[in-house]
Amino acid sequence: MPLSPRRLAMPPIKGLRALGPGSVSSLLKTALDVAYAVLILLTALGALLFVTVAFIPMDQLALNVTDDAGGAQIPLPRPHALFGVGAFIGYFAGFALILRNLRRVFRTLTLGDPFQPENVSRLRQIGWILATVTGGVWVGQMLVSRLARGIMDPPSLFNLVTPAFSVLVVFVLAEVFREGARLRRESELTI
Amino acid sequence: MAIRVQLDKLLAERRMSLTELSDRVGVTVANLSILKTGKARAMRFSTLDALCRELNCTPGDLLGHEPGPQPGGDDGEA
Repeated sequence: MPLSPRRLAMPPIKGLRALGPGSVSSLLKTALDVAYAVLILLTALGALLFVTVAFIPMDQLALNVTDDAGGAQIPLPRPHALFGVGAFIGYFAGFALILRNLRRVFRTLTLGDPFQPENVSRLRQIGWILATVTGGVWVGQMLVSRLARGIMDPPSLFNLVTPAFSVLVVFVLAEVFREGARLRRESELTI
Repeated sequence: MAIRVQLDKLLAERRMSLTELSDRVGVTVANLSILKTGKARAMRFSTLDALCRELNCTPGDLLGHEPGPQPGGDDGEA
């Protein structure tokens, strides 16, 4: 039996719409807005903590590390503490930047025109930031494990597999958007 | 683009305005201008058919080829 366009059409999901109030996109938009606000707040708090650690004298700063065998107290010099707080600021700021770009991509989607060259750049930026942040986390864990030798195991290279896969997915999506933008531009000038 | 849509010539020969042609073929004046100025990337067969019908001509009368540089990388992307 030949497939007519009517038979090929996807049935709409009951109770869910693509756009507008109560739709999947409005839920995603709310999630993106909330996550972005939380990340901005955490980055600001991290910056405040950085200033506090940098300028307020703290002589007896130490880090308590506990494991199954008990625990240990590692002295935490000011430069190490500043590096740690700085790393957290970088982590939250990186994800805030990713969400900022995602919100802009999402805005073009709600306007009904997501295949724009700007979105290709945004997705590429997201890929680079994701690679930098996740790579930075791995390097940070490596440094901390050296400081807490015998208490914390160094991270494995396998820990980088999932982030690398995510970065790959983002770059592939950027290329899909680039082709979409090219096709849209071409169809615009087809009379 | 080396392909030229010779609307100007055909319209002048038939003493027809772009607005009148737009009304007859159902293509906006803006899109006909894109065709006329050679900015269009492609033309649908339905548009070509309507233009030929209203201008009483063949596709060969409407389209011309001007030898020029090979179009390449005009998308601005690698």
